Amino acid sequence: MPAPRAFSNEVGAGSREGAAAEQKPKAFRRFCETVKSFRPNLSGTLTILAVAALWEAAVRSGAIAFDYLPAPSAVFVAWVQLLLSGEMLVQTAHTLRAVLIGWVVASAIGIGLGLVLGFSALGRRYLLASLEVLRPLPAVAFLPLALLLFNFSLTTELVLIIYASIWPALINTMGGVMSVRARLYDVARTLRLSRAHTLIKVIMPAAAPAIVVGCRLSLGLTLVMAIIAEMLANPHGLGYAVVSELQAMQPQRMFAYVFFIGLLAIALNGALIGLSRRFLRGHAAARHD
Amino acid sequence: MIERRRFPLARLTSGLPPARGLLPLILGLALWQAFGPRQSPYAPPPSAWWDSVRTMLHNGKLMPALGSTLVSFALAIVIAALVGGALGLLIGRSRTARRALGPLLEFCRGLQPPVIVPVAVLLLGYAESLKLLVVAWVAIWPILLNTASAASLLDELMLDIARTFRLDRITTLRKIIVPAVVPDFLLGLRVAVPLGIIITLLVEMLTSLPGIGSLIVISQRQFRSADVYGLLVVVGLMGFLINSLFAMAEQLLLRRWPPRAPSTR
Repeated sequence: MPAPRAFSNEVGAGSREGAAAEQKPKAFRRFCETVKSFRPNLSGTLTILAVAALWEAAVRSGAIAFDYLPAPSAVFVAWVQLLLSGEMLVQTAHTLRAVLIGWVVASAIGIGLGLVLGFSALGRRYLLASLEVLRPLPAVAFLPLALLLFNFSLTTELVLIIYASIWPALINTMGGVMSVRARLYDVARTLRLSRAHTLIKVIMPAAAPAIVVGCRLSLGLTLVMAIIAEMLANPHGLGYAVVSELQAMQPQRMFAYVFFIGLLAIALNGALIGLSRRFLRGHAAARHD
Repeated sequence: MIERRRFPLARLTSGLPPARGLLPLILGLALWQAFGPRQSPYAPPPSAWWDSVRTMLHNGKLMPALGSTLVSFALAIVIAALVGGALGLLIGRSRTARRALGPLLEFCRGLQPPVIVPVAVLLLGYAESLKLLVVAWVAIWPILLNTASAASLLDELMLDIARTFRLDRITTLRKIIVPAVVPDFLLGLRVAVPLGIIITLLVEMLTSLPGIGSLIVISQRQFRSADVYGLLVVVGLMGFLINSLFAMAEQLLLRRWPPRAPSTR
């Protein structure tokens, strides 16, 4: 039921966009869209501000019994200090590097395996069950093992990141390939495309939206695993910073890192959504046949 | 109708890939057992894993840890399901609540699970309740968001029916809204359950509170590699059992709902 509805929406949006494109220059049109889509959520902003104000008031007046809860203002000051001293940048750079390397490798492996498994029933028959045994193993449980094998190092961090992030890319790619409509295979056969060409020209474009979703899920997981690994297995980066500030009893600095990591996750996800919109225009419609 | 009442076991296992696919894994383990070094400090053969798990069973290390992990996990999931379901209904059905709470919830959800642990440690200290709170906090979001989105996308026709029958608010909630939301609520729960297992282990690893997670970390620190491998298998089995039990319960429950279009995960 949802599929056809989404499809008709896509078509509607597409044709409206097309009509508008004839009338106005592109940049102006995009600007108009941005302005139109920007609806200030007043009540939502107020709620956040109210929570922050309440928190601040509670800490200042001593109404909260927690000894180590810093006021939001103190967190903000600590954040600015960390930014200015360059400390946060160094840690962010380390984490981002690990995240990007891990994500690229995991996506490559995941997409590759996913294509093979989605494309070949034989591969599914003789491999899928093994993967289904490994997949639900909680990736954090592999951390001690990786630590045992590779010690406290970037390798440990990357191994953990990659292992955990392969799965969403793999499962989504496989699902995407398997849900390619039979009609598209017929088209490929009619055009007498070779297997390789069928894969590149028909299957992969049709499965692209699912693959992108998988890679996006992988990216989110990558950051989480990087932070976990840094907390337990590689004393660098944002995850380590959070733990060391906790042990140094610097709660305001720790909260600054915690909130910053949250923002970083949102920014990473947003960047990827933006990129996929740019590269996948019109693809959502193709997928639903 | 009669068809619906029968519930053969075959349907429960129909979603699983063919067992032949286990061959590579079994072959790999067999080769490891046959050709791996006997006394390797890093990669002990599978038979050593089995021995060490049996030892841990006998000296009373494994069961208390497993119990502790399972109890925390189960309690946290129940809390997350209750709170997440209720909040999700509220947020999904009320536009004002959605607008007002949306950004805050979005922000809270954006806080990464691992960094919640130090925050909770700071505020609560190393208490048993910390485990519960962190796991529930992380598990609540998929449940809440799924429920809220289902409740907000409710077919208006259904509400018109309620109005036609002049149902009061409670009855509308009970007879129209909740049944319409249950499949998505369960979908959220299906995401939350494996997440909950992972976070329970993670909290135990980070805080050394008793449980399987801390047992693995301790084994690793003492370089008892066979224990680490053995516990990994135990954890895997635990996760597998919990997930399949939940999937079966979900299928049993959803028997009475109309089938959904298969979604791509």
